[in-house]
Amino acid sequence: MVAFRNSDSSGRTTGLLLRCVLYSLLALGLIIVDKHYDHLGKIRRLLSIAAYPVQVAVESPFEGWNWFRQSVTSRDVLRADNAKLQAELRLAQFRLQRYEALEAETQRLRALRDNTAGVSNRFIVGDIMDVDLDAFRARVLVDKGASDGVFVGQAVLDSGGVFGQVARVEQLTSEVILISDPTHAIPVQINRNGLRTIAVGTGDSSRLKLPYLPTSADVIAGDLLVTSGLGGVFPPGYPVGTVAEVKRDPAQSLADVDIRPAASLDRSRELMFVWVKPGAVLPVAASAKAPAPAAPTPAPAPAPATGTAAAASPSAPKSPPPPAGANDE
Amino acid sequence: MMRDERISRTPMLLSAVVALALAVIPLPSALDALRPDFLVLVVFYWSIESPRAGGLTLAFFAGIALDVIKGVVLGQHALALTLMAAWATYLRLRLRVFSVLSQSLTIFAFLTGYQFILFWVDGATGNPVTSFSRWLAPVIGAAIWPFLASTLGRLHGQR
Repeated sequence: MVAFRNSDSSGRTTGLLLRCVLYSLLALGLIIVDKHYDHLGKIRRLLSIAAYPVQVAVESPFEGWNWFRQSVTSRDVLRADNAKLQAELRLAQFRLQRYEALEAETQRLRALRDNTAGVSNRFIVGDIMDVDLDAFRARVLVDKGASDGVFVGQAVLDSGGVFGQVARVEQLTSEVILISDPTHAIPVQINRNGLRTIAVGTGDSSRLKLPYLPTSADVIAGDLLVTSGLGGVFPPGYPVGTVAEVKRDPAQSLADVDIRPAASLDRSRELMFVWVKPGAVLPVAASAKAPAPAAPTPAPAPAPATGTAAAASPSAPKSPPPPAGANDE
Repeated sequence: MMRDERISRTPMLLSAVVALALAVIPLPSALDALRPDFLVLVVFYWSIESPRAGGLTLAFFAGIALDVIKGVVLGQHALALTLMAAWATYLRLRLRVFSVLSQSLTIFAFLTGYQFILFWVDGATGNPVTSFSRWLAPVIGAAIWPFLASTLGRLHGQR
């Protein structure tokens, strides 16, 4: 330590400068190549396999504590849980009977309209890993990756509704961007009257907003918003959120609408990755481009609604940050 | 590359792996923005204390590890860490005789420079993070520097 404290020479400084320039150029080159070309995907995946043990090691104490807490749960708690779950299951089965009837009816109606069937029901369930990514972006790491068939742009749901979409895929993990991320937008439809618009994230996981609705739009607090299927990323008909508050300022041309997300964005642990049949979305998108009398919306939308939909749909393809065509895996 | 047989790299690599784990350990989201850049501080420490053990190489690869783990553009943290670690290595003889306060202030300057390069690359690659809270990390980092340096110093002394 002390031995080389004074052994610094100008030669060492030159060496330092040389290495600094070398590494900086290497890093700059990586940035440029990673930004403009797609060649680094494989390298990044290999590196992420090397990083996986660190992430698992960080996660394991929390996993262990959860396991411990689950193992020592008392019998009473288990019995109460069991009773509650059975009650919920009965209710769910009761609803499911109706769902199957409705599904059959929808199939018949769609067949009448010469459209293909609805959403594919292929999905896998992934767990959110207890790992923090960038503090300034609403993203989570999930333990399913390219080896499970996950692809960039895939829709991700939780038990309440739409959660987000896959932003990046590694070999064993994938990164999901939440619908509350400020750079994320999702095409939605008001369930009550079929009014189409875009819901944009705010960075706050308990709030989305609808920035493109005119003050005259037919939207009231409590309206359910579902995915419209435009843009081809999210399957149509899944709940996105409910309207929490509508602020109409007569001096402004656009209303200020707050949405409470249906998915528990800050509490969910299990997520569903969904595969959408490509044919399921196109007919809806086609009918959206021609707001003909045969529009599929159940209730007649008021005049400004059609205008909004027309104004909103061009921005729909650019709304999801990763391009929908990038699902090569 | 000059190699000194007397310098053991074990404490260096060990502290880097621990710091990498601390960088991803889950925190409540309110505290997340306050998380100090442990790995950056560790790299600075080894750049100042024993640059011959490969401070810049450590800086570059630690940066690549951060890029992969945080999922940002590859090379961003590597560039910032390399430049700042080179600066720290260049100033190390002066830094070693500084008082604790002056050392912390210099570390603050390094961390601010580091955040600035990250900020710049973020902007240049088209996903700017304009949140003000990213500038809190240098303050926190400078505040914990004395503790971190003395902890690592103890680890270092026992080699």
